[in-house]
Amino acid sequence: MFERRLSTHLDWSLLVAVLAIAVIGVVMIFSATGGASREYWTQIYAVLLGLGAMVACMVIDYRTLVDKAHWIYLALLLALLAVMLFGVVRGGSRRWLDLGVFNLQPSEFAKAGLALILAKLLGDLRRTAPSTQDLFLAVALTAGPLLLIANEPDLGTAVTLLPVLGVIVFAAGLPLRYLGIAAVVAVVSAPVAWMFALQDYQKERIVTFLDPEQDARGAGYQQIQARITVGSGGVTGKGFMKGTQGQLRFLPVAHNDFIFSVLAEEQGFVGVVVALGLYFFVIIRSLDAARLAKDRVGAYLVLGVLASFMFQVVYNITMSAGLAPVKGLTLPLLSYGGSSMIATLAGFGLILNVRMRRFTN
Amino acid sequence: MRIGTFGVVEDRRRLQSRITALRVVMSVIFVLLLGGFWFFQVFQHAKFKEMAENNHQRTLPLRAPRGVMFDRHGEVLVENRASFNISIMREHSRDLDRTMRLLAKVTGADEAQMRETVERHRREPSYRPIVVVQDATLAQVAAVTARRLDFELPDVVVQQVPTRRYPADALGAHLLGYVGEASEQQVADGVVATGTVMGQSGLERTYNEILMGSDGARRVVVNSVGREIRTLDEEPPTEGKRMQLTLDASMQRAAEEGFRTTGYWGSAVVLEPATGDVLTLVSLPAYDPNAFAAGIDKATWQQLNTDELRPLQNRAIQGRYSPGSTFKVVMATAALEEGVITPETKIFCAGGGTFYGRFFQCLGHHGWMDVRHALEKSCNTFFYTVGNQLGVDKIHDWSQKLGLATKSGVDLPNEVESIIPSTAWKQQRTGERWYPGETISVAIGQGQVSVTPMSMAVMMASVAQGRRVTPRLVKATSNGGTWEQVQNPAPAAPVTLKPDTVSAVHDGLWMAVNGAGTAVRAKIAGRDVAGKTGTAQVISLQGRQRARGTGRDLRDHGWFVFMVPKDNPELAGVIFAEHSEHGYLAAPIARHIIETYYARKEGRPLPVMPAVPGTPGFPAAPAPAPARPVAGDGADEGGVR
Repeated sequence: MFERRLSTHLDWSLLVAVLAIAVIGVVMIFSATGGASREYWTQIYAVLLGLGAMVACMVIDYRTLVDKAHWIYLALLLALLAVMLFGVVRGGSRRWLDLGVFNLQPSEFAKAGLALILAKLLGDLRRTAPSTQDLFLAVALTAGPLLLIANEPDLGTAVTLLPVLGVIVFAAGLPLRYLGIAAVVAVVSAPVAWMFALQDYQKERIVTFLDPEQDARGAGYQQIQARITVGSGGVTGKGFMKGTQGQLRFLPVAHNDFIFSVLAEEQGFVGVVVALGLYFFVIIRSLDAARLAKDRVGAYLVLGVLASFMFQVVYNITMSAGLAPVKGLTLPLLSYGGSSMIATLAGFGLILNVRMRRFTN
Repeated sequence: MRIGTFGVVEDRRRLQSRITALRVVMSVIFVLLLGGFWFFQVFQHAKFKEMAENNHQRTLPLRAPRGVMFDRHGEVLVENRASFNISIMREHSRDLDRTMRLLAKVTGADEAQMRETVERHRREPSYRPIVVVQDATLAQVAAVTARRLDFELPDVVVQQVPTRRYPADALGAHLLGYVGEASEQQVADGVVATGTVMGQSGLERTYNEILMGSDGARRVVVNSVGREIRTLDEEPPTEGKRMQLTLDASMQRAAEEGFRTTGYWGSAVVLEPATGDVLTLVSLPAYDPNAFAAGIDKATWQQLNTDELRPLQNRAIQGRYSPGSTFKVVMATAALEEGVITPETKIFCAGGGTFYGRFFQCLGHHGWMDVRHALEKSCNTFFYTVGNQLGVDKIHDWSQKLGLATKSGVDLPNEVESIIPSTAWKQQRTGERWYPGETISVAIGQGQVSVTPMSMAVMMASVAQGRRVTPRLVKATSNGGTWEQVQNPAPAAPVTLKPDTVSAVHDGLWMAVNGAGTAVRAKIAGRDVAGKTGTAQVISLQGRQRARGTGRDLRDHGWFVFMVPKDNPELAGVIFAEHSEHGYLAAPIARHIIETYYARKEGRPLPVMPAVPGTPGFPAAPAPAPARPVAGDGADEGGVR
């Protein structure tokens, strides 16, 4: 299946940028956890495993994968059901499957799985735009894993499936009036949701976000600390392992959700520019892969995989600067997390796959 | 190829344009993110840098130990011990209410009082620690430290602070004074910051600035739960200056022992006439200054303030009493200096004399008396006569010259003025003129004459030395190296007495002790003790009738003033024993002090005070001195009669 000449079409620059971010992540985890910690080594193993997964996702022609997408999707649902039944509970939620050697978080793989099945559904259409029926089917396919993940509960990861749906549908030619309708519905439903749907703690989070000083010791604490962390970094940063906010634990889960804040604190604005530049390059380069894709299926697949990546990157970095409410959403490639790293690298394997095969038949 | 054929050209173009839209959106978002980070990291960097430092840096004050006080022979009187304060730093409180509840629980402290303390300091900056448990026990410190390890009390700090240690037996309590947190008034006066421990009484207060030293500070790095990670820098505190007092601890102890053995409350002041050095300064009942050092609790404070025996009052400088016959020393000196009499002038005593139409009584029929014998026998008639010749204003002038009127000027706070009447004084006070008949009572230390034991001691020292003496309590100060001698304060108005005056008065006082006088109980073989007893009426005869049944102790006070030896005296002083009725019952206390002085000087073992017949402390075996004499233990009420 894998032809030697394909390697000449491999997007080396994207691959290098992705790996560069992963390496920066490993280094920042080293700093945030105070040295060669367990988390540091786990992350290194995850990167190596992820490279394996990436190669695996590259060598098989993406069209074959899309062809088998319904089986992959089914396997994914089964894995999520297994989590529900046999999952390992940590920190009050059931997210992991104990595989003996390590714990696997199937929800991380749901994004790529969903991208595959949606690419198959919408890429095969002969119509110029998806019909209402197609849209319903797409929403239903998204809802399945989303509800299972939300039920774990892991609202953060569940929400990342929505961009996958949104971007693929958007690319597939969703009439713009639907976007308008969606916007109107959102505006109208917000107060209703506020009054009926949201729990008190959720409302509190939103209020706190709008005015963090109001609750500087409680929910607003992390947000203020995030701003202090970033702001105190200055232009050149406090130096590797010398950040006070991260090192002295003023910022919670520094190696995880707030890894970008640690980077901003220790490496300063210079480090932020480099990291943001790498992420921007990866996104633009991936969008190129979608643009250059041989077929719609490939384009949708790339965009689907990229959608959750973009969403998480933008949200997490905004949150790291204390500009968004604090949610348990990690930063792909940089944050600590084995399953996330493997799934993300596998996803980039798919993106590279599509670009690599743009000239093949 | 079964899937993925190219769609229509239009479809492909729409896909391209939508991808371009995504690219534009992402570009805008990244530019905004970059702008956000620029705003925080470059534009507002200074503000956040400071906030980060406030987060992880704490400046902990290092309290300076107050200066150590020594007695004149180098014995340590007041020193410092290490104690622990438990404080709340509200800056780091997430839930102050919970902190106080938990802290009260683990330390066993009174939660209501803790809340009150925190409330009192509410307006202060939140980074300043509020001390809620002073002088914590090791168990309390351990309990708090353990909780801190569990990250439970991140806003609580335990600080080691030096705390004053006073003599366990409250020796010289009023003289040494005590320390306490600066009052609101003191803070408002701008001298010190809130929470500063400063001298509030006695020498601690007078010499607060010398004793206080200056606090240092330690800047530490703490983590998010308040645990100290490392010290950034440290500015060590500067210990307060050491002070060598003029006090002789063994004499002070002997004086206090004397009061306890006899069972009286009262006051004693002994000076070294040549220098004005205060060797002994007693006021009893006393309080335990150690109770103040670690923050006095409300109940004890309340009790000290409401106690009818007024243990907080320094009787030596704040108690005013009628001097009785001891005033005759002033009368004799004034009359001799003014030339109203010579040492050889004789006046006839027929058991009293009539002045201005009223008969004034003497306690005996003394016959012809010169000044020496008049002092020996305490002859009223003699002093009525010279008093009448002097007039009240001359009496007032000489009292002032000898340091008996107004304040003695001793370096202790809140001294009250002794009162010796004069025509001007009465005019000002009542608007009435002075009647010459009133002078006759003044001549024997009655009427409106009202003096402090300290001013009496100054008068005796001045008469002993032949010039006006000003008392002082501090000999030298030191930064830990060499001692710097403190300059002797110059008397307000230097006075020198004629040698004839001095020898006549000294002879008379010697005869009172060693001849047929009233003070033979102070006699010490081989020591030329000279002295004079006196009785101070607590209340007039008419007043006594009215006060009957009120439970007030109306028995007269006893005085004994003395100097030793008669020629070139080394000591001069006064014993004032409340409700002892007779001055001679106060004399044994003086005797014990004098014996202790010589024993110490000559290197002999210090004497033990024998029981004194006729005093409340006799015949029952003298109870061992209570470690902390607390006012109102009834030693006075438990007396004979």
